[in-house]
Amino acid sequence: MEEKRLQTLIEEMWPRLKKKHLYPEIPIPKVGRVIDSFDEKSDQEDSNQRVGLEMKEKQMTINPAFIASMKDKMSEENLIEALLDHGITHYTFCPWDFQTHLMLYAEAKKVLGDKESAKRAANYFIDVIADTHCVKMRETEIPELHRNLKKGNVEKVIASLYQRIWGIDMGLTPSQFESRQNEEVVRRLARIPYLDRSRWTESIRKFARSLKPLLILEEKEKESRGGGKGDSNPQGEHNLNHYSYEEIDEGLREYAQKTMGLSEFREVVEDFSSELKEMGYGIEAGMGRGRGAPIDADILFYMKLAEHYSIPLKKIPMEEAGTLHPHSHSPWEVGSPFQDIDVWTSFGKIMPGITQVWKKREGKGRGKVEEAPDCLIIIDSSGSMINPRKSLSYAVLGAACATNAYLKNDSKVAVYNFSDAPMGGREILDYTENKNEIYRTLCRYFGGGTALDLEDMMPLIKKEKKVDLFIITDMKITNLETLIGFFGKIQNRITAVHIGENPYASRFEKAVEKKKNINIFTVKKKEDIPHIVLGSIRQYFNTMQNNHSA
Amino acid sequence: MDIYQFISDHLYFNRPDIEIKGEPYNSAILMSLLTGLIKGKELIIGEPGLGKTTSAEFVCSLIYQFPLGVIWGSEVSGHPEQTEEKIIGRPDLGKLNRGEEDVVWTNFSQLPVKIVDEINRLPETKQSMILDGVDRGNWEYLNEMIINDEYCLFATANYQDGGTNTIIAPLVDRFDVIVESRYPGANLSFLIGKAQGKDKILRHRKFEKDLYRILKSKIAYEKKIPKLEEVCNAFGEYIDKTLGVKPLRREDRDQIRMEMDEIEMDLDASAFVRMFLAELSFCDRYGQKRIVENCEEGCHYTGYLCHQIKNCASNRLPTSIKQFAKGLAWFFGDSEIDIEHVKAVMPFTLSHRIQWKDEVLTQKERAKRDDPFQIFLAKEAVKTVSQRYREQSDHLKDALGLGSRIYQGESLEPLDGDHPIYIEIKKDIRHRRIR
Amino acid sequence: MQNVSPKKKTSSPPRQGFGLLYNPFEEFKTFQVTKTEIPLDRIVQSTEQVMDQIRLGYEKLLEEEAKELVWMVQYNTIIKAYEVAEKYIREIDYSAEDIEDFCFALENTHRIPYLIPGPAGIYISALCNYAKEEELVLKLSELKTEINLIGFRLPKGKRLKVEGDTGDFTGIGLEGGELEVEGNAKNWTGAGMRSGRILVKKNIGLHTGEWMMGGEIYVGGRVRGLGNIVEGKVYERDKLVYPGKARYPNLYY
Repeated sequence: MEEKRLQTLIEEMWPRLKKKHLYPEIPIPKVGRVIDSFDEKSDQEDSNQRVGLEMKEKQMTINPAFIASMKDKMSEENLIEALLDHGITHYTFCPWDFQTHLMLYAEAKKVLGDKESAKRAANYFIDVIADTHCVKMRETEIPELHRNLKKGNVEKVIASLYQRIWGIDMGLTPSQFESRQNEEVVRRLARIPYLDRSRWTESIRKFARSLKPLLILEEKEKESRGGGKGDSNPQGEHNLNHYSYEEIDEGLREYAQKTMGLSEFREVVEDFSSELKEMGYGIEAGMGRGRGAPIDADILFYMKLAEHYSIPLKKIPMEEAGTLHPHSHSPWEVGSPFQDIDVWTSFGKIMPGITQVWKKREGKGRGKVEEAPDCLIIIDSSGSMINPRKSLSYAVLGAACATNAYLKNDSKVAVYNFSDAPMGGREILDYTENKNEIYRTLCRYFGGGTALDLEDMMPLIKKEKKVDLFIITDMKITNLETLIGFFGKIQNRITAVHIGENPYASRFEKAVEKKKNINIFTVKKKEDIPHIVLGSIRQYFNTMQNNHSA
Repeated sequence: MDIYQFISDHLYFNRPDIEIKGEPYNSAILMSLLTGLIKGKELIIGEPGLGKTTSAEFVCSLIYQFPLGVIWGSEVSGHPEQTEEKIIGRPDLGKLNRGEEDVVWTNFSQLPVKIVDEINRLPETKQSMILDGVDRGNWEYLNEMIINDEYCLFATANYQDGGTNTIIAPLVDRFDVIVESRYPGANLSFLIGKAQGKDKILRHRKFEKDLYRILKSKIAYEKKIPKLEEVCNAFGEYIDKTLGVKPLRREDRDQIRMEMDEIEMDLDASAFVRMFLAELSFCDRYGQKRIVENCEEGCHYTGYLCHQIKNCASNRLPTSIKQFAKGLAWFFGDSEIDIEHVKAVMPFTLSHRIQWKDEVLTQKERAKRDDPFQIFLAKEAVKTVSQRYREQSDHLKDALGLGSRIYQGESLEPLDGDHPIYIEIKKDIRHRRIR
Repeated sequence: MQNVSPKKKTSSPPRQGFGLLYNPFEEFKTFQVTKTEIPLDRIVQSTEQVMDQIRLGYEKLLEEEAKELVWMVQYNTIIKAYEVAEKYIREIDYSAEDIEDFCFALENTHRIPYLIPGPAGIYISALCNYAKEEELVLKLSELKTEINLIGFRLPKGKRLKVEGDTGDFTGIGLEGGELEVEGNAKNWTGAGMRSGRILVKKNIGLHTGEWMMGGEIYVGGRVRGLGNIVEGKVYERDKLVYPGKARYPNLYY
């Protein structure tokens, strides 16, 4: 009954709120039980009253118990409006997307060092931005809400901050705020340009730096209380529930692209791994129990980066049948031949303006689809190459782009990852469509010498009728001559990408320059590797299309 | 609106797929209604047999008061052998044999409702002929002309398959909106299968005969119109009495159009549309977007839509947006067009007019969605730009206000901003100052 | 369409309607943005202004003292640089937080293109010495570079606490002030200090107290090497190491 009444209230105010926030694309909020993530198992009434708002994949839920608990302090309408203003602003302004959320968290962690503190600092920062944005840009009851909320030490500091930067009395008495340290913290926090999005990166570092002593104190107090997760945020927690699977996917992609830093990306993904897994992200297909394999952040990094480099799907070619048939009409002109005149549509008359002729066209139908060949990637992971699990390896990224392109076109990919192969430094993955396995093999790093074992490769090449070869190496291969001889004998399309100029590479180039099936690219800037690989693939696919239409 | 509700409840069974002002609507019915009211042109796409043509027929029948039998008889079906004679008119054969020229106009050219089935199967010349005619309302044949005072066009198209041509860009640009007639779901589909004969409720043998007689008659077209309207009004009254829904008379439609014309955009809606148009046409390096020119690496405006598309937005786009937004605002009884109206219609007016770059297509083609790919991309684009607008709405409106004052002669400096719209404002002001 | 002679120039206001004079911004002509100012705007603006002034002072210092961006640490160059720094910062009204922000801004090449450690340290020292506050805390633990010459001529009555590591010549020429470093300091710490107190919570490098004339240096960690100390005291983990057993300078004892 109470829920229905509140729901009606929300429905009445929702059009006005939407207009106020310029029509965000979020559904109408609901009223319902909100689970306090800090106290999930507690059945006590008290715990259910702590959180006023929950946001899950853009659906906001108002907690009626919280509304009831605040009845004496604030009117229902103002309270609900304040909560919704806050929730909507998280969606429309800060953090807006998962990539921003990750960025803020990562920057906070650089300052604070540990995961929990960084999350808390990022959450506080996000809340300050959202509330300040609302207060400045819209008419809102958020100040009134904060005035009436219960406050811990950090919340008091935040309230004092609001008092200073909004110029609104937050009901804090001097006795509540005696600590000089707190005063200093507020002074620092007040200088941060919260509403300047372009400076959020440096702002959150400053925010975390200033708030650090209080967060440490809060952590100590929590430990002395006997552990637990701490106090919940009445305005709702900021966790991955806010985002849909697709938003998280996109966010990770954008984040990988923005940072281009493997260790940063890995750190963030590992910190959020349990939440990501709860959302079903990164879990491999298949039923079963148990925790499942942990998310491999390195592989995820290359996957996300490779998504930025893509080529379109190969289109099914349209073939012309070779025979002409009447297709459409066009007006007959004096002097034009008679044989194609359509007597019926001309009403039996031969005169300009009335008579029509048939225009003939070749019939078209779907051509036979030539399948894209499979792909064998030969990647060098000797000591002279970058360890892909330590820093960004463009060689692996290029290989990942090739993988994506061939898998997308329903082909299979095999990987031959080598270092000192005769001594066992190699990993072979047979032709497969399993993207995770392919990436795992690509990311393997041996760091030893550089020698291929052709006997490993031969079965992979002979197995498939048509295989494209991609070899990415710095060409400092000890048995290069053997490789040259081998390439000289096979007719497969080979793209060789070698990094940097050296006598071995020149030797290789010279040896195979007459072979039309071998393309060699010298890469001066490693960043060019993915583009080169994709360019080759594009060329291969276009050739296939042209062969068809010819 | 009653007509919407009636079609949704009795004729075209489908799920709502958009939400406007907190209410769910089916985009195919809604956009078709608006097209009919504002004399627009709509392209309806969808898989075969999903109600593309029938939805248009129902809308036309109720908005223009024509029985279905007459509408069926006026449809042009798209196949390559269509001729001008079947579409527009033919010589009067009797008179032709006597050496006189006279034109027998087709129902398609005479009726205000024009439905073309599978327009993409028509050759380009015929597509162009129809669109030219509907653009101006003039139909010419053998040096004679009829002028339609009111008209709307519904064209259907299946997805590309071996038997279809492409509708080329200059032609597809002339459509105001594109909508998909979707699969209604297994349960509704079953219901459709059970509910036979729903078209009969919009038929009337006698009125159809009367209308055919008038259309066939040899009187001047201008004299046919009032006669047609008389019969249509009678049909309308019949529908009202039997079905409880009141179709629109000519006066009603004129009144609605007048009311729609009076509805203006609020400042937010206007600023938002300008911002959107700027992103679709701007190019820092080459002056404007052109399909033959590629973006430079490292361009400052990489984050905007101009970097993701190949072509430039045409001038028909803002016209379509305004018209349909006005229609939607009228539909909801609002006194002003706000951003929500604009955002609701924009994807439908935009999706067929944008050519996305390959990188964008490959990145998003596997994304989870409910809409066909092009409409999905358009909706995403609208969402992105709307977020940008939210962040800088005041600053942008301020810039436009300042622009107005500078344009009127005040010596002020235009506001700066990162978005292409600020550059566009400066360009307009600069031209003003030069004069 | 009206016919308008293109050669006639009139001063009448532009006509609305068709043609070239249509104002495309007409509907916005009466728009006035109602800007809600909150104290944050004023605070951020004044912070930016102060930062600009401080930055300008630093750039002028570099112009005058670090020609071609080269600067050698010598007695006269330090004095000269300090005098120039004093000249510019006297006119600026800043707080301790501004000094900290400036330290971070030095690392951000978008905001300040050149970080030359010597003049930067002198400039920061001048900022500290002329700050209104008696007690200053600079939270610099996230700084990637260590600032040299910090605490130069810190006067009596001033207390400067640095959270993080400092570079060379920390507390050089201290003049009675208290300098606390919560991290490590590098070489030449306390060089030429006259009086005052330096407290380094972790380790210290070589040439500690070189030409030290008085005052005290407390080191919570290890002292790598002492310099030629004239007078004063050096403590390592509460143990007095100078004056103490005679030994060679810069040898770890």
